[in-house]
Amino acid sequence: MDASVKSHCTAHAAPAPTKASVFWRPTAKTGLMSWLTTVDHKKIGFLYGLFALFFFLVGGVEALLIRLQLAVPNNDVLTAQQYNTMFTMHGTTMIFLAVMPLSAAFFNYIMPLQIGARDVAFPRLNAFSLWTFVAGAIIINLGWFMKDGPPDGSWVGYAPLTSKTFNPDHSIDMWVMGLQLLGVASIAASLNFIVTIINLRAPGMTMMRVPVFTWMTLVTAFLIVLSFPAITIALVEVMMDRLFGTNFFEVSNGGMPVLWQHLFWVFGHPEVYILILPAMGIVSEILPTFARKPLFGYPIVVFSGACIGFLGFSVWSHHMFTTGMGTVATAAFSLATMAIAVPTGVKIFNWIGTLWGGHLLMRTPMMFALGFVWMFMMGGFSGVMHAAAPADAQQQDSYFVIAHFHYVLIGGSVFALLAGIHYWFPLIFGRRVSEFWGKLTFWIIFAGFNITFFPMHFLGLNGMPRRTFTYDANLGWNTPNFIATIGAFILGLGILIYFIVMTHAYFKGEKVKRDYWDGRTLEWSLPNPPPEYNFAVTPTVHARDAWWYEKHHPEEIAREKAAQAKADAVHGGIHMPFQSIYPLVTSIGILIGSIGVAVLDPGHKLAVALAGGVIMLAGIYLWALEGNEGYHIHADKEEPNQ
Amino acid sequence: MRLSYFSPGHGRWGRAALALGGLALLPGCDFNFWRMDGHQSTMVASGPVAKAQLDVFYVTCWVTLVIFILVGAVLAYATIKFRAKTDADEHAEPPAQGHGNPFIEIGLIGASIFALVIIAIPTLRGIWYTYEVPAGQKAGAYEVTATGYQWWFKFEYPKEQIDGVGPLVTGNELVIPAGRPVVVQLRTVDVIHSFWVPKLAGKVDMIPNRGNHLWLQADEPGYFWGQCAEYCGDSHAVMRFRVVALSAKDFADWVAGQKQTARTVAAQSTGADAPKVQFASFKRNQYGYSGKWAADAAVSPLDNWKQQQSPAPDESPVLIAQGRRLFTAKTCAGCHTIRGHEGIGITGPELTHVGARTTIAGGLLENNPDQMARWLRHPDQVKPGNKMYTTGYVPNNVQLTDDDVGALVAYLASLK
Repeated sequence: MDASVKSHCTAHAAPAPTKASVFWRPTAKTGLMSWLTTVDHKKIGFLYGLFALFFFLVGGVEALLIRLQLAVPNNDVLTAQQYNTMFTMHGTTMIFLAVMPLSAAFFNYIMPLQIGARDVAFPRLNAFSLWTFVAGAIIINLGWFMKDGPPDGSWVGYAPLTSKTFNPDHSIDMWVMGLQLLGVASIAASLNFIVTIINLRAPGMTMMRVPVFTWMTLVTAFLIVLSFPAITIALVEVMMDRLFGTNFFEVSNGGMPVLWQHLFWVFGHPEVYILILPAMGIVSEILPTFARKPLFGYPIVVFSGACIGFLGFSVWSHHMFTTGMGTVATAAFSLATMAIAVPTGVKIFNWIGTLWGGHLLMRTPMMFALGFVWMFMMGGFSGVMHAAAPADAQQQDSYFVIAHFHYVLIGGSVFALLAGIHYWFPLIFGRRVSEFWGKLTFWIIFAGFNITFFPMHFLGLNGMPRRTFTYDANLGWNTPNFIATIGAFILGLGILIYFIVMTHAYFKGEKVKRDYWDGRTLEWSLPNPPPEYNFAVTPTVHARDAWWYEKHHPEEIAREKAAQAKADAVHGGIHMPFQSIYPLVTSIGILIGSIGVAVLDPGHKLAVALAGGVIMLAGIYLWALEGNEGYHIHADKEEPNQ
Repeated sequence: MRLSYFSPGHGRWGRAALALGGLALLPGCDFNFWRMDGHQSTMVASGPVAKAQLDVFYVTCWVTLVIFILVGAVLAYATIKFRAKTDADEHAEPPAQGHGNPFIEIGLIGASIFALVIIAIPTLRGIWYTYEVPAGQKAGAYEVTATGYQWWFKFEYPKEQIDGVGPLVTGNELVIPAGRPVVVQLRTVDVIHSFWVPKLAGKVDMIPNRGNHLWLQADEPGYFWGQCAEYCGDSHAVMRFRVVALSAKDFADWVAGQKQTARTVAAQSTGADAPKVQFASFKRNQYGYSGKWAADAAVSPLDNWKQQQSPAPDESPVLIAQGRRLFTAKTCAGCHTIRGHEGIGITGPELTHVGARTTIAGGLLENNPDQMARWLRHPDQVKPGNKMYTTGYVPNNVQLTDDDVGALVAYLASLK
């Protein structure tokens, strides 16, 4: 337990107040106010998931418009500028507003349950992360409703295309400001997860008993904390160039555009692993559950995950093989990149080892997880091709790269996240999803995905560059493009059905008992949906697959629980933190100030920015003053759906 | 695709494939794309650099294919073999709860490293080979400078100095000698661009405040398609160029011709009426080329380029003279150089011998009167955001009548 949590316990050895004395604390448990002021990691995780899925659909529509434009040569569904906007927003949205927050949703919801914690270490900071993420998402998307339009500098925003000289309107300002806010949100959330995992594990849960998903959460959180500062520096420099006329990237005054690329990719490559490691964690949970045996080679899977995290910081320049780095640097980054294939390969071997000798139950999450292994393997192989720098000189910025990273990001990350939603759905909502519809959506998504992206390998090798709004008909690109567009709409249909099926299951799905999949980790020991306090009695962990052990040693566990419950009662029951409005207030202040800085004319800029700053400071101040008090509840009633 | 492979007797899979094939045939597609032999194919190496890069690609391809087959086979086998097939399987006692096998782990890690070494060795060799012209060939290397502009390429020939002017300059068509290494110095005046001629060499970026270079070599004379490969703003997709490789003698002749000042057509028949010229009209998004650039064109693109070098027999001296006057009157001369004539600007492509090029508008349109007229009339439609429109036509309020366009087209076409 960290210091602040300890202080709660001592402070409330006396009967806990139900209302704080000096400051008003919201107590609503239902309705809008309960969501706006929540500090419950499960509610926050759910909100992350909702926002992420919304932006996943927005990014998907952008992707379909891109494919519509490229269906036939010289198409004019979109103008050049609209197309450039579309791929910029598609990339930015999918990476920062869909896949990352969807991973964060699982971190928030599942990770504390897996380690036997009652919440994350800093519940109010967690709420602040969520609302600041929403603020960043709003700013990035403001352009749709403004005359300047959304940004069109591509998701990598290479200088000097983002400078005032080449992009005078506010669209780039919104992109720059929005990403900075997302950085704040991600770093705050990650620090929270790191502290939680290190300090709030249940008794007996040593680091080598921590479930792989939680391990990957930890590695990802470290990657975020270490990599986001790099892009934040770069973004601040662009912002300075644009707002105050500094010369970091201003070529005419000696700026260094290639510096942007280094800073961006020092962030950008770890970002790739930020997107894929949570997915690997999810798959490492699903495969053992449905193979009904432990993960093969747990220590080596964990270490290879950490190893990928470390190596991920030493390969950024493989995104820059064509920038003329010279032979030695190119060779070094080329070899380092190949080295990453080893720990990645290890994971695949271990997943296969997990299947070997198991009783494979082919449920929908298992289908998605197996789809993940296949598709990620293919994406990995094209990744090795890029690692070979001379081959990459031809593939860089071609459709071959598009094929590669969609295989790892859709076939990899998105498949695993969709699997995760299916997998934890019975836990989170207490209802099951139809197996028939689940499998049907899997096959439609799987087919649509491959029909879309497999032909892009051919397109790239046949010389089609990416980020092009049009192409001529005489280059041999017509058929693959047309097939890819058909595939994209099949994929879109699959995703649409997925959402319909999930929505239906949420409202009408058959209710299920706890531990629907016969799970192995602690979250499955909870009633579904889990109560606000998660664990009525803090579990004691005896083995790696803690819940599996509990299920096979019922007497021992029952004895322990009784003793633990008695110990808890001495403290006055389960300590719960009060809800708080100030994280939201602080984020709103940041939102207003950022809009002032990024979007408004010089006349209003200063006033609005200052107003936002004042609200933000007031929020922080009151947040600090209201204190981290809480109340106690007693969970001595019989738990529902045993 | 040979659809006759699927006779009706092949059952539902055959019919399904036929239906799928028919669907894809709708917009007139062909199924040869897997051959990857287009104008910009990276799989058709026409010089040693592209060849070296392709060889490395094949190594990575074969190694990963073998691994994919091995690992995929085990994965597929495990999935099928250990699948719970019956209801009894589903409810059977859980299998042995094994935690792994360190020997298998270490063995597989060793095998992975071995596979990567197989890829790493040719990779390292390729990095050094493709970076610099090999020592033995350096003496014979030719040098040019390519500069990226939003959205076209300028090419300079530092070895071909013109008295009192400087190096020979062209735009959008880089003519090089075949059979010898060519070092291309890469520069840019605005944002980052990337120089990519897939059949000759992989791309290298043109980055502000950074002197990059690449080398390439065309083994045989030929006509090669190239394109900017780094997103550079609105019209990135239509920032294209060509590389024309000529035999030593043809190249020397070409250089000699290029060094000449612009061709002047003597207006013998002064007083004659200028002929009226009609040009085809184009939809906004229509192709900018004819069958000459098709993959299976009757005349090879190189021969086509050679034909472009000589003046058209039916040119009208009156119209050309009128076009030359308009070139100044309509402010074109402020941005484009025409050596020996009035043009002195350097912000747009140099046009001294523009009539002898096969492309205009940054490699996008075929250089014929119809396309030239289209480009002069609607530069904003052909190339969204281009400078000729945004910093030329708009601020200078350039209005061209049909007669103006006819005269300018005739004049530019005469500049062989």
